Order: sequence, then structure tokens, then C-alpha cells
Amino acid sequence: MEFTREIYWNVGHGFTTLAPMYGLLLVALAVFAFGFVKRIKVYRLGQSLDRTDQRGERIKHLLENVLLQTKVFRVPGAGTAHALFFWSFFVLFIGTSLIVAQADFTDLFFGIKFLKGTFYKLFSLTLDLAGLIALIMLAGLLVRRYLIRPQGLVIKADDALMHGLLFAILITGFLIEGVRMAVTEMGTPLAAWSPVGWGIATMLTGMGEAGLRTLHTGLWWFHLLLALGFIAVIPYCKFRHIITTSANAFFADRGPTGKLTTVNLEDETTEKFGANALTDLRWKDIFDADACTLCKRCQDRCPAYTTGKPLSPMQVVNQIGEVAFTDREANLIDTVGREAIWACTTCRACEDICPASIEHVGKIIEMRRNLVLMEGEFPGEEVMAAMEQTEVNGNPLGMGYASRGDWAEALGIKPLAEDAAVDVLYFVGCYASFDKRNIAVAKSFVTLCQAAGIKVGILGKEEKCCGEPMRKMGNEYLYQTLAMETVEIIKGYGVKKIVTTCPHCFNTLTKDYRDFDLDIEVQPHAVFLAQLVSSGKLKVKVEEFACTYHDSCYLGRHNDIYDAPRSLIRAAGGQITEMAKNRDQAFCCSAGGGRIMAEEKLGERINIKRVQMAAATGAGQLLANCPFCLTMFEDGVKGANVEEQLRPRDIAEILAERL
Amino acid sequence: MNILICIKQVPDMESKFKINGEGNWYDRADLAWRMNEYDEYAVEQAVRLKEQVKEADLTVLCIGPDQVTETMKKALAMGCDRGVHIADAESYKREPIEIASMIAGFAKDKHFDIIFTGMQSQDRGSAQVGVMVAELLGIPAVTTIVGFTYDNGTIQIKRELEGGSKALVTATTPVVLTCQLGLNTPRYPTLPNIMKAKKKELLTMAPDTGGIVPRQETASFYFPEKKGGGIVLEGDVPELADKLIQLLKDKTGILA
Repeated sequence: MEFTREIYWNVGHGFTTLAPMYGLLLVALAVFAFGFVKRIKVYRLGQSLDRTDQRGERIKHLLENVLLQTKVFRVPGAGTAHALFFWSFFVLFIGTSLIVAQADFTDLFFGIKFLKGTFYKLFSLTLDLAGLIALIMLAGLLVRRYLIRPQGLVIKADDALMHGLLFAILITGFLIEGVRMAVTEMGTPLAAWSPVGWGIATMLTGMGEAGLRTLHTGLWWFHLLLALGFIAVIPYCKFRHIITTSANAFFADRGPTGKLTTVNLEDETTEKFGANALTDLRWKDIFDADACTLCKRCQDRCPAYTTGKPLSPMQVVNQIGEVAFTDREANLIDTVGREAIWACTTCRACEDICPASIEHVGKIIEMRRNLVLMEGEFPGEEVMAAMEQTEVNGNPLGMGYASRGDWAEALGIKPLAEDAAVDVLYFVGCYASFDKRNIAVAKSFVTLCQAAGIKVGILGKEEKCCGEPMRKMGNEYLYQTLAMETVEIIKGYGVKKIVTTCPHCFNTLTKDYRDFDLDIEVQPHAVFLAQLVSSGKLKVKVEEFACTYHDSCYLGRHNDIYDAPRSLIRAAGGQITEMAKNRDQAFCCSAGGGRIMAEEKLGERINIKRVQMAAATGAGQLLANCPFCLTMFEDGVKGANVEEQLRPRDIAEILAERL
Repeated sequence: MNILICIKQVPDMESKFKINGEGNWYDRADLAWRMNEYDEYAVEQAVRLKEQVKEADLTVLCIGPDQVTETMKKALAMGCDRGVHIADAESYKREPIEIASMIAGFAKDKHFDIIFTGMQSQDRGSAQVGVMVAELLGIPAVTTIVGFTYDNGTIQIKRELEGGSKALVTATTPVVLTCQLGLNTPRYPTLPNIMKAKKKELLTMAPDTGGIVPRQETASFYFPEKKGGGIVLEGDVPELADKLIQLLKDKTGILA
């Protein structure tokens, strides 16, 4: 026998079927297009932004994230179920398209049929199994959403509609197959190639052919209406993510990772800075709200949210969406709330995990910019004081600027103003210059460089804060003032290479300062030292010790540096017991986003939580690579009462002890 | 309303101070400069008053070398309308009556309703300039104010007295008010106001003390003698013990 089946079996070939079917399809497509045209008008209310450059890379990212579900797949459980559901549904879509292609085109116009023989057998089996997998995954997701109800998951009417529609489409699909098989395939070898359909058919054989045929016609049209209804409702409910989330993979920020937009402060016609109204945002910020699927991965990882602060990155994105689509005149800052806006540590845990390529941090910074630059508002007086201190003394600690280089005198390190013939410029940063605990790190680092025969220079009293905490707090003006001065000074000395012990300085000098034409190589100390060790220039004794290692946000998620610090720790004899949240999943210390200048007044203390995670490893030392982290951990071990068990240290200190 | 705010540029108190060559004041090298804290309260109160009454013109006045215009820009960014810089590189040598004469000389025919200034400067700390300006202009002065309300020409003032008690004073214009910590929290200038401040009128004048003869002179300037303070040892317990033994050996005869 020929392995194939009659398309349009029982419903009739030709005009009487095709005309209403394609007519309804056109209606569905029109409703779909109308929905998106309306939304596109809203996206266009945002400021312009070019997200169609680097097309090759963008298309690659789109295909990876849609077809391979790369980011969705990163979180097991719901992510796995979504990916499997997507692939199954995608197979069903391809299968249906092949049927349309044969029945309404190749066969209709040229008499060519390709759904036959071995290909048909495989086609039939694949679609049958895809339908089954889709049903199982959908059931699993239904159980998760409505019975397990994970903490923080938002459940809306949209979800019920989506589950209901998808279940109905899949089940009616199987029923149509079962009914058709009950009449045409029972007892033939073909039945084995549709196991689920066969199972349904065996239950229906008793109905008699006439009844089955009537049932089939009804089901067929009902299934068609459901499928077309699905297409039509896409723009009007969360199904829209099929289009918007996919498109967002194309529109995603192509880096440098986490780099903020530099405001043009030279333009004297600008009267407004930052965002407090929808139209101050970029179109991508509005589009992001439509791309969000409320998967809450960002919220689960947000250090502010998980310590009881009124910030959820997911909510921020959706509040912008609400303003865009329901109350366009609303004040964004009032809608999101000041406490939420100030709570962000810019750790990027949200953006890193987001399967929808949403940029949460930039939106928060835009609102901060509006508060600071337009209202002179800060999260507290201590932050305003730190800003003023930075204006006066070039550091948020309020220490006299002239003593910035004092720590280095005893080590024979000179400012470039006295001796500019150096191998590297050590950009010390405010904490390693003034804070006693971090001066110890600076001294260790310099000692290591000297042991490796590297001549180090500093800027001394000419160095000022890189401006990172101020910029992240929204003070773009102060940041740019500091950035321009610093770039001019560094360039004036003909420096060839810069090394930092602060990842915030590193990130700022290597990314942000490019906008002010600093194009000198910058390395964080962990990478610089790892190279010195591997090239044999720096010899450290291997003395075994147990430790855990904290990936700072700005070396980790912001710059993807995970292995160099670990190799350095191992080279010194360190046995690392990783915390559960490590590498790209690391939990912030609380001090990023300018929060180093602010008091943490709401919820649990983030640094204590992180220190507790470190203490849980049982390792006696908590190694860090960042002065902010180190400061927070020194405070955190006291707060968590683990001072005796856990000693926070910088990697450089461990190495310097092993010279 | 016509309001004058007198401010001074002072070094940041965290700076590394050195004595100057003449031995009569601090050396200007390596210092960071800012607006005298008490004058910030004066500027803030004046700006708030303008926001309340709408119709007001705020003149900020500062005496000193050219560098003080940087600090004046902050006052303009906070909301003052115009600046008057009395360019005087020697101002640090002047006694309070000379400074007050310069201010009074400028103010005498300008009909200021209120003159706000700090209750003292953070560096010289004489606390005399404000009251002397009032005396020279023949108008009342209310000092160390920590509360201010204005209603239709009447000013209600809260003053800080010794021992934490407060006094309520009612005054009418014209008046000189010297401001104390606690009066208000000075604002952080917004960016549009910083931009606008760059274009505001800033008049430079020559110093004119009106023939006042100086009657005092700073004879010498010195740091307090270092007295034997306590020593705080830091480190691990064994390290602390070693340091203590070393100290006892070096400084005392106990372990000899």
C-alpha cells in the first residue's frame, strides 16, 4: 500500500473548504497586524536608537535564542519545559506548513505530492510525538503555575487564556487524527506511525462511520478556528512574546556589556536630563516591556528584591509597559517608586539571566539621572554629602586630596609627575588610596609588581575618583567632569598600560572612558597578576589553604572574567569551595550602583546574606577582587557574627604572603 | 525683594594644612576649596525665600582672589541671580572690620531688604563680619539663626542660644541674619541650573575698605602642640603582644 493520507479527508476538497478557510485566515492575520500596528505606534513614542547595525551578529543571536532557546534553557525546570514545548510546537507548525504546501500549492497546481512513503511515515510519527511532548510540557507548566505557584510568580488572566487555548489546539488536533484514523487507518500498517492517534482511534471505533464523520467535520472546523484565533490574539495577550521576545533577541544590546549611554552635556539646547516620562525613554525601553514574559528570573536573582527591598527588575519593566499602554501621561518615577529606583546595585544579574534581552539597569539609571540632574535628589543626605566631597576632594570619602598618594611613599612608588618612565600606571582608586583596609591591598599589589620586576607609577594627588559610583547613582555631570580630567591627565603622561585593583575603576576606564577617547590598555589586577604568574615573572610559593571566592559583579557579569582569578588562587595553593551562587550567578555584595555611598535602610542587609553564603562553604577565607566587596565583607562578617570563622581578603594579599 | 548673600570660600577642613611663609596664616598649596558651610545655609535660605515670594533678586557677594568665583558659581547654580566678586588677593590678612566695610560699602545704596550670611567662617571663625555689616549700615542683626519664616514683611526667627535653648525673635526688614547649622539642608544644584549659572552676571570690583584703619594683625599662626596622646595598637593577638612588649622596652624601664 501507499503510505500517505488524504489531506482534507472528509471536510472536502476545493472551493467550499478553501474559501472559508483562507477567508478566516485573512481575518486572523488582519486582526494580528492591527494589534501590532497599534503597539508599534506606542514603541515609536520612545527616543531613537539604532539597533539594526551588525545585522549578521544580530541574526545569529536571534536564531540562537529562538530556535536553540539558549537563554531559556539556562534555567532547568520551567526553562527546560518551555524549550521542549517550543521545539514541539515548532515541529507541529512546520508539519502543518508542509501539509498546506502540498495540498494548496504543489498538489493543487502541479499534482506533486511529497507526503508519502518513508517520508510520510517519519512525518506522521514526528508530529504525533511532538504533539505528545507539547501536551506533557504544557501540563507540567500548568502544574507549576497553578498548583506549585512559585514565590513571586505573577498569574494573570492571560496565562489562563494561553494555557486553555494551547491545550484545546493540541487536544482537538489529536482528536481529529483519532477520528480520521478510526475510519481510514485501523488495521493498516500506517496506524503504527501515529501511536497517539491510534490510541484515540481504538477508543472511538465503536461509534460507527457516520457518527465519526460528523464528529470529524465539527472538530476540524473547531480546530481551525482555535488555530486562527491563536494567531489573532497574539498581539493582545502574553502570546505576543512569540514575536516581541524573538525580535528583542535581534534588537539586544551588542555591548560593551553594561555600558551606559553617555549624555551629551555640551548640547545647550537640552533642557531635560534622564527620564521621568515615557517619551524620555528610548523605543527599546518600551519594547522591552512587551518582550517581558514575567518569567521572574531577574526578580529571583535581584539582590535588592531577595533581601526585601521594594525593587523587582521585572516590575520596573512592566510598570513602564503599563505607563506606555494605559496611562501615557503618568510620571515614571512616581509609578516605579523612588525606593525601588535607588535600591538597584547595577549588578546585572537581571540582564544576564533575562531570556528576553531586556535592559533593566539602563532604565533605572535614566530615572536616577532625572532625580539627580533635574531635582537634586539622592537616596539620602549621606549620598549628597559624598557627591559634594567628590566635587571638593575627588573622593567620596571626604579625605584631603593631597594625601591620596601617601600610602605609597614607603614603598618607593612615585607619582608620574615625578617619574613618568614606568611599565604600568596603577590607577589606585579611592578606597585603596584612603581606606585603611584597602590600602593593605594596594601595598600587596605593589609588592607583587616589584617582585616581578614591574615598575609601577601612580597619579598620586592628581588621581581623582573615576566617577563610577556617581555615574551609577545618576550624577552624569559629576562623572563626566571627573572622566574628562582623568583622561587628560593620563594621556598627558604617555601611559602605555593601566592596571586597577578596583573592578569599578577597571570597567569605567576600559569601557566608559572610550567615549572620552581613552584608548590605553586597562587590566584588572587579577588578570595582570595571573599573566605574570603564568609567564614565570612572578613566582609565588604554593602554600595550601582553603577558601571560597566571590565573583565581583564588575569583574564577573560585567566583564566575563571568571577564570583568571581562580587560576591565581590555585597557583598560590588555594582550594576553592564554590558558593552555590558563583560565576555568572554570583550574588552582589550590595555596594555597586553607587550604593557604596548609601546607607542600606530597607530589608535585610545584602552583604550579611552574601557573607552567610560564604560561611556556609566552611572555608576559612573569603577571597575578593574588589575594594567595595572587601569593605562590605569586613562589615558583613561582623554583622553575621562569623568574624572568627571567615576572613575576607583580596587575592593580592594572599599572593603577597607567598613571595 | 532685594536680598544680599555674603559668602566666603574656605579650605576643606580635611586638607593637609601647612603654615605659610609669613607665618601668619595657612599656606594655600595643596588645599581643596569649598563654600563656607554656614554661608551655604545662607544661600539656601535666600533661595527658599525667593521661591516663596517669587519676586526677589538675589545678589551673592564674595571677597578673595579670582579663585573664589568657582565657589560663587555654586551659589549661582543654587539659585542666586547675580554675583559680585570683590577681587582681593590679600583678603586673608584682613581683620573683620575691613571685610565688613567692603560689604557695607557695596550695600549702602542698594537697599537690600535682607542680608544673609554665615554666622562665622570655618577658617577664621571670628563671627564678627555679619554684625559689623549691620552696624555699619545702621540696621539690626540677628545672629546664629536656626529657623526662618517670612510672611508679608514680618520675619520670625529662631535663634540658637548657649546650652541648646532657643529664642524666638520677630524682625522686620532691613535686617542682617547670620545662619547656623540646623537652619536648613542646602540643595544640590540641578544640571539646568548649573548651566544657567554659567551665563549669570558676575561683576568684579576692586576692594574698598572706605578708609578704615586696621587695628589688629595676626602675629603668628601655629598648630597646637602635640601632647602625648594614647596609642591604639592593631593586629592579631600575638602581634599585639609583640608590639606591646616592644613599646614597654622602648619607652619604659619596666622590662629593662
